[in-house]
Amino acid sequence: MSQGVPMVELEGVAKRFSRRAFVQSRSFALHDISLTVERGEVVGILGESGSGKSTVANIITRLTAYDSGSYRFEGRDMKRLSRAESFEFKSKVQIVFQDPYGSLNPRATVQDSLLEALVLHQRGLSRQQRLAQAARLFEEVGLGSQSSARYPHAFSGGQRQRIAIARALAVQPELLVCDEPLSSLDVSIQAQILELFVRLIRDRHLTIIFISHDVSVMRLLCDRVYVMNQGRIVESGRTSDVLEHPKDDYTARLLEAVY
Amino acid sequence: MLEAAAPLLELDDVSVALNDGARPMVSGISLSIRPREVFGVVGESGSGKTLLARTIFGLHDEAHVAGGRISFNGEELPQHGRHRAAAAKLLGHDVGFVPQDPFSSLNPSMRVGKQITEALYLAKGMPMHAAQTRERAIGVLAEVGIPEPELAFNQFPDQFSGGMRQRIVFAIALSQEPKLLVADEPTTALDAITQRRVIELILERSRTHNLAVLLITHNLELLRQSVDRIAVLYGGQLHNIVKSADVGQRPLHPYTEALFACIPSKGRTLAEIRSIPGEPVGAGFGTTGCAFASRCGFAVETCRTARLPLNDGKGESFSACLLGRGAEP
Repeated sequence: MSQGVPMVELEGVAKRFSRRAFVQSRSFALHDISLTVERGEVVGILGESGSGKSTVANIITRLTAYDSGSYRFEGRDMKRLSRAESFEFKSKVQIVFQDPYGSLNPRATVQDSLLEALVLHQRGLSRQQRLAQAARLFEEVGLGSQSSARYPHAFSGGQRQRIAIARALAVQPELLVCDEPLSSLDVSIQAQILELFVRLIRDRHLTIIFISHDVSVMRLLCDRVYVMNQGRIVESGRTSDVLEHPKDDYTARLLEAVY
Repeated sequence: MLEAAAPLLELDDVSVALNDGARPMVSGISLSIRPREVFGVVGESGSGKTLLARTIFGLHDEAHVAGGRISFNGEELPQHGRHRAAAAKLLGHDVGFVPQDPFSSLNPSMRVGKQITEALYLAKGMPMHAAQTRERAIGVLAEVGIPEPELAFNQFPDQFSGGMRQRIVFAIALSQEPKLLVADEPTTALDAITQRRVIELILERSRTHNLAVLLITHNLELLRQSVDRIAVLYGGQLHNIVKSADVGQRPLHPYTEALFACIPSKGRTLAEIRSIPGEPVGAGFGTTGCAFASRCGFAVETCRTARLPLNDGKGESFSACLLGRGAEP
């Protein structure tokens, strides 16, 4: 922001997935993805299934490699990182996945999952401080009344998504990437988690990238939005401009179709 | 308009129980669907909407109709042990069923054309290999908007996208010229643009072929824009039947209101979206007490103890609210 270096900067990033024998594959790739995210911004990536938006999320969080182009995080090239830098990156960037049933360790109590994140990424805390911190996080995501000494299966989908968010926040990330954080939840629970995100954005000044097919998530939470279709960014701009006056034909059709 | 017509499908105090459990999962369901009516059922996951639809048409292996009467086209279906066989006779003839997942509802090793000619043979006795049957199948594929239907006839399901596969499932269901099409979350696996096309296809077909539709979904906004009336299920109970045009226009059952208020639809600001506190109650709540009472802002003691009223079927709409909220003025 002040130093003029964007937090996330993708320039001409491309990615191909190779065909495998006997596997019927839709040839699928990312073409020339360029995007920037400034510190403190909430940026949306809107697209339907197969548009490549989750691959972009995975590239930003370094879960997937890219073939060409460049990715700089806080000005640093992500192709050349030492082990230490790589670990540091993980403390700075966290991801919340779509499926709260698959993203928590089923064999650890949710408290232990939280404590693990604190042990790894917030060195120098005593056990007492870690427990207190875990309790605070639980409170913050609206699970204050629940016992955290239970396993993930004891929680509902909405509660698990809250736990996944608490776990990501435990690391005190600078960037939070949320890949369809609402879409596996019931409508009434979606609204609850939406309210949680609004509160977090307001209280924590987080930089967030929301990956979603849901136009309303974009409209309500994001400052800027990128629209993706078939592995390309087809349109970008301020959310209100893009959603109210789409320039791209695909964006217009998508907005028209939404109930 | 539609008022005079006798109901096509009528449920009277129907309950559904799992085969290995004594307690009904869904109970006290009374509703009627008229010929040519597009009727929606909405509910969150676990509300019992799919269980109800599958069981009344004998499609559920692990559940049975535990009570109440089901009539189709004026004829009452037999109860208990003979219900499934009778329901199975309706399916594929007067009732077409479209399940949620277009990726598992087609036979992956049979050409699309054969899956339709087989349906035509079973429903109408048309000889499977006759040129005339083939013509008819290609015609049906064209009607549901499959490009190059002659080519599609000889292709396998995996050569089609999700939206096209769901159209093929529709083609099979519609080839039998049913009176009622039951579609269980037919668009959940599809993209927004495809979803709207598939829903519009159903609505258009309903208008042109005098087809009644039972559309089951969790998407209240989709139903509000598409169907004539909506039944609202929660915790295995029927809470509300409303005309779509009334949603957002007049006071409805507190759960319907709450469900509508939490949709982040176009034109709503954050302040206008209100979430429902607490967690949804699963099916199997029974008929004593209102399942929504634990999350309802209006609930009083009676709501937890009184028996939920049944729909007497006299009006177009119905509210099961024990405080009388949402009753038609």
